Amino acid sequence: MSEALDPRTKLQSMLQPVNNFHLESSETCLEILSAVLEEKGEKDVVILSKGHSAPAFYVMLHEMGLLSDEELYSFADIDGLPSHVIRGLPFIEVSSGSLGQGLSVANGIAMAKRIDGEDGYVYVILGDGELDEGQVWEAAMTASHHRLDRVVAIVDRNYFQLTGGTEEILSKEPLADKWRAFGWEVIEVPNRKEELKKALETAKKLVGRPKIIIARWGV
Amino acid sequence: MIESFREAFGRALVELGRENPNLVVLDADVKSSTKTAYFERAFPERFIQVGISEQDMVSMAGGLAIAGKIPVVSAFAAFLMRAWEQIRNTIARDNLNVKLIPTHSGFSDHMDGSSHQCLEDIALMRVLPNMTVVVPADAQSVPVLLRQAVELDGPVYMRLGRDHAPRVYDSPKLELGKASVLRKGNDVLLVAAGVMVSVALETARKLEERGISAGVVDMHTIKPLDEETLLNLASKVELVVTLEEHSIHGGLGGAVAEVLSEKMPKRLIRIGTTEFGRSSRDYFALLERYGLTAESVVRKVEVVLT
Repeated sequence: MSEALDPRTKLQSMLQPVNNFHLESSETCLEILSAVLEEKGEKDVVILSKGHSAPAFYVMLHEMGLLSDEELYSFADIDGLPSHVIRGLPFIEVSSGSLGQGLSVANGIAMAKRIDGEDGYVYVILGDGELDEGQVWEAAMTASHHRLDRVVAIVDRNYFQLTGGTEEILSKEPLADKWRAFGWEVIEVPNRKEELKKALETAKKLVGRPKIIIARWGV
Repeated sequence: MIESFREAFGRALVELGRENPNLVVLDADVKSSTKTAYFERAFPERFIQVGISEQDMVSMAGGLAIAGKIPVVSAFAAFLMRAWEQIRNTIARDNLNVKLIPTHSGFSDHMDGSSHQCLEDIALMRVLPNMTVVVPADAQSVPVLLRQAVELDGPVYMRLGRDHAPRVYDSPKLELGKASVLRKGNDVLLVAAGVMVSVALETARKLEERGISAGVVDMHTIKPLDEETLLNLASKVELVVTLEEHSIHGGLGGAVAEVLSEKMPKRLIRIGTTEFGRSSRDYFALLERYGLTAESVVRKVEVVLT
């Protein structure tokens, strides 16, 4: 637990000078990022589609010794860390910040790997609010139609989006059924690192379909 | 001789696919209209169907480029524009090696009317950092410029019409980024792109009959614009005219106006559109309605020069 608390404190102190920029959606992404980065193999790719959780990602890089204190606290400063992740940062293959595009990009990478006969999984982290974007469902259809089973999506199911609760703004439930109807294998877990890691292991063993892990916050 | 832009595109794509195993083609259920179906037949394993979802197609192409492929995305120009934000935020921002090659631009999809005719795409693409914008004049230019677009490392938007491509070149030696000077003139310089290059040549012949000497430039690369050739030729004439099957705002006319007004103020007439199109059984009836014929251009030039 202290392992989880420490990054959270870090996150809070780094975001205090910037009006708590996406603090909550970064907090709910910490354990997901931690699990994905620990599971990530050499040939795997990570896409942070919910790019506004960049602060959580930077805290992870800091934990891994890839960012200094000074760099971490340069968040959103003019020559400092960008407020949304951009290509060129460690592990970041594509710039995000605009919602709904990450899953399509993940499919493209998975398709290229298939054409080249290469291994490796493509992990893509989505926000639950992000699922309002129609493109996510276009990509969901593309992935299942082409049986892109190297695509593993993780939804940060924290039940809130920018201006309110997800079920008030635009209801997502029954979320698991929606993904199943689109031809995906669905795994539902509490948003905790060890359980997420187990879910990622399970996901990798399921073949023939793309997989989605719904990481539920507060359960 | 009238040839077809899309036929030339479809055939050239197969040729390039044979030479370059990294070339992949994406389609949003218009392969028979864009002629990427030829590529599918030749290389089914490198042809990716996404269904009617242009936004997904563009972002997926981004992923393919990240993984080292050279994705070619084709669609009707008007509907590729619904993915403008994906083109901006994923492709252009990361300078990804994606080739966006729409067909049916300008008025060329004459029957389908204003929803399908695309008169804004050059402006939308030209404004994006990292994006190269190319408009081939005829079917002969398509394979030459397509090859260079594929060889260039970075995003390219290459705008094609549907079928009406009056032949301008026999075996063109074109260079991306370098304007092609087709005719020299002392009174007026006609700067054109796409189908309007053939109209510019016809205009120059008609002006000659009236004692007006007109030069013609095929400005096939609109971004980066060949400013050197433009300024060099413009310095010798009284009037510059731009001709394009596109809005006069932000397209070729806009690009030329920007350069001239900053570097060599010069009287300029922009020939193009300012409204949405309409349905027509006949493509030429549309060109005539919107003032995109040689006769119409001649009249406008005469008003200024005589």
